[in-house]
Amino acid sequence: MDTSRTPAAAEPGEAAAASGQEEKVWRAGGLEPMPIRTLPDAPPSIHILGPTVFLVALGVGMGESYMWPRLVLLFGPEIRWLFLIGVTLQAVVMLEMARYAMATGESIFFGAARVFKPLMWFFFVVAILVYIWPGHLSAGAAAFEQITGIPWVITAVAGLILVGVVFSLAKVIYNLLENVLSILIGTLVVGTAVVAAMVGTWGDVTSTITGMFAFGYLPQQALSEAWFPVIVGSIAFAGPSGMQQMWYTLHLRDSGAGMGAHIPAVRGLRHAGEEEAMPSRGFMFDTSNPEEMRKWKGWRRWVTFDALLLFWGITMLVTVSFTVIAQAAARNTPGVRTVIESGEREAALNAMADSFASAGSSVLGGVFLGFIALIGLNATLGLFDSFSRGQADMSFHFVRGAKKLGMSRLYAAFLWGVIAFGILILLFGPADGPSGILDTLAFLSTFAMGAYCVTLLLVNNRMLPKPIRPKIWTNLIIGFGAVFYLGMLLYSLFAFGVVVG
Amino acid sequence: MPTRQAELALPGALIGVVAGAVAGGLTLLAGQPAGWAAISALTLALPLGLLGTGYSILLGQNLFRPGVFAPAGLYWLAGFPLARLFQETVTGLAVFGHVSLPGGVAGFLAYQAMVSLGFAIGFLWLHERLMPHWLMRLRERNPRARELLAAYVEHAEALWLAKERRRARKGAR
Repeated sequence: MDTSRTPAAAEPGEAAAASGQEEKVWRAGGLEPMPIRTLPDAPPSIHILGPTVFLVALGVGMGESYMWPRLVLLFGPEIRWLFLIGVTLQAVVMLEMARYAMATGESIFFGAARVFKPLMWFFFVVAILVYIWPGHLSAGAAAFEQITGIPWVITAVAGLILVGVVFSLAKVIYNLLENVLSILIGTLVVGTAVVAAMVGTWGDVTSTITGMFAFGYLPQQALSEAWFPVIVGSIAFAGPSGMQQMWYTLHLRDSGAGMGAHIPAVRGLRHAGEEEAMPSRGFMFDTSNPEEMRKWKGWRRWVTFDALLLFWGITMLVTVSFTVIAQAAARNTPGVRTVIESGEREAALNAMADSFASAGSSVLGGVFLGFIALIGLNATLGLFDSFSRGQADMSFHFVRGAKKLGMSRLYAAFLWGVIAFGILILLFGPADGPSGILDTLAFLSTFAMGAYCVTLLLVNNRMLPKPIRPKIWTNLIIGFGAVFYLGMLLYSLFAFGVVVG
Repeated sequence: MPTRQAELALPGALIGVVAGAVAGGLTLLAGQPAGWAAISALTLALPLGLLGTGYSILLGQNLFRPGVFAPAGLYWLAGFPLARLFQETVTGLAVFGHVSLPGGVAGFLAYQAMVSLGFAIGFLWLHERLMPHWLMRLRERNPRARELLAAYVEHAEALWLAKERRRARKGAR
């Protein structure tokens, strides 16, 4: 694909030259050009926590704690090679999302709008359709009910209100969330290690790890109408799923990574009045200046460290631990295998917890459920913030009159909107969404992942100056991602008539 | 002087104790026998708390460097399996009257050593998060905390400079 020329009025590969008084700008697509500004210095790698903590918090969820352990029990540890591919692919996607966000300070949604505005509106609509349903709260809240006896609907509603209040009172939302999520993730990692240490054996962990390298293993049973859609769904849920990677670009911007340093952070509603003026587009740095390119390489190293060690490493660690835990549960109590296989998520999680309690490790039943509740809390905090951030960003830039409200108020409006809707649905409706559209929602969530791979290829190869565009091998991997997600989804749909499970 | 050292040890001790004790608290909530939960939690919280204390103190004595994984990984590679061995032994004797380790002592320790890597990552993550905040609180009255905080800052700068030099060398080639 020859994408070396930026469209329309752009000067290919170069910042439009400054004439006398004219400001130097980079033209990308038909939208407002980006003024050229200085790229800040990249932080050293001692800064071990960054915006990746959001991706880890969102990504380490049901896929790692439930869906993959379940597949391992069904098909053996060899099935985990698909998980390895899924998470590695997501690490590359993360690096490419970061490329655009760090080079421009714009979200990937803005980048999509620069390519073709309806593409951005597609993601705006998909986000609303998929993420307003409060179903993701149920697993964590149900686990909490098991431990404390407090009905899960009450916990879920209280949790929703708490999230809204906390995010409204925070001065700078990003700082608050990074601190809270860091402590929660750290606790989760330490805790799962302790639990895995108490229930697992040497055999469990070696089979789980060696299983990751059984490339090509796919038993006949997995290629059935009942299981193929489940496998597709599990691959989509390996690491961050749906639109989580796209929202990561907003967190990067708010953390001040790369050119994000020139964009003010989103504030809580109570401090919305103190918000600095939000620029109407991002900025670009001078890619013809070797000093700027040296700093750019520093930022790429910084984000690569995050992607490999924090994102890839921790996602792997948590899922290996949970798989070891599930294997131990199935060994201790043979009945657990049947419940896990049956696909009733909450029943399976409870059965795993009971299995530990009855097998002598009484401590672990409660701990296990505690971690499921913790994962649920992480996901809720992260999802509500991210959803509101993404919708506010798109509305601010592309809905007429929205700029008057300001980014922080738009954020608060979306946040409280999704909370109010969530409470109404929890009390009176189906938490996951109306049963008639469940398949459509699952389809859209996975479809969005294929679609963002295509968007990434277009945005990074057409909207960025030549010296900072992705290399060919990166494009090949992202292209493979698009084919992988969309291909598996469509194969499942046409071969078996079922979307993801 | 010992009080000052002890003050520095708080973050490590806290993480160790919480990691061990969280298990006991949740067991009580889950309605398990209180005695059993208490023994299990105590026998893990105690050694992990002591080892956490040791880590923070050694960091205070400049034997470990802030944010560097390898020494912390080695420390827990030795410490975590021993902590678990202590827990299994004492809990086994107190509750069942005998000790049974899955896979024998060698297999048990090998498996625990493997898991200790995960524990070390989580421990260091939390420790690096808590320690600088704690040092900032202590720096007014504790000179050792002031020095250690300066070491954190200096270490970050040194890493940064080393990287810059490497880059410059690469550029010159």
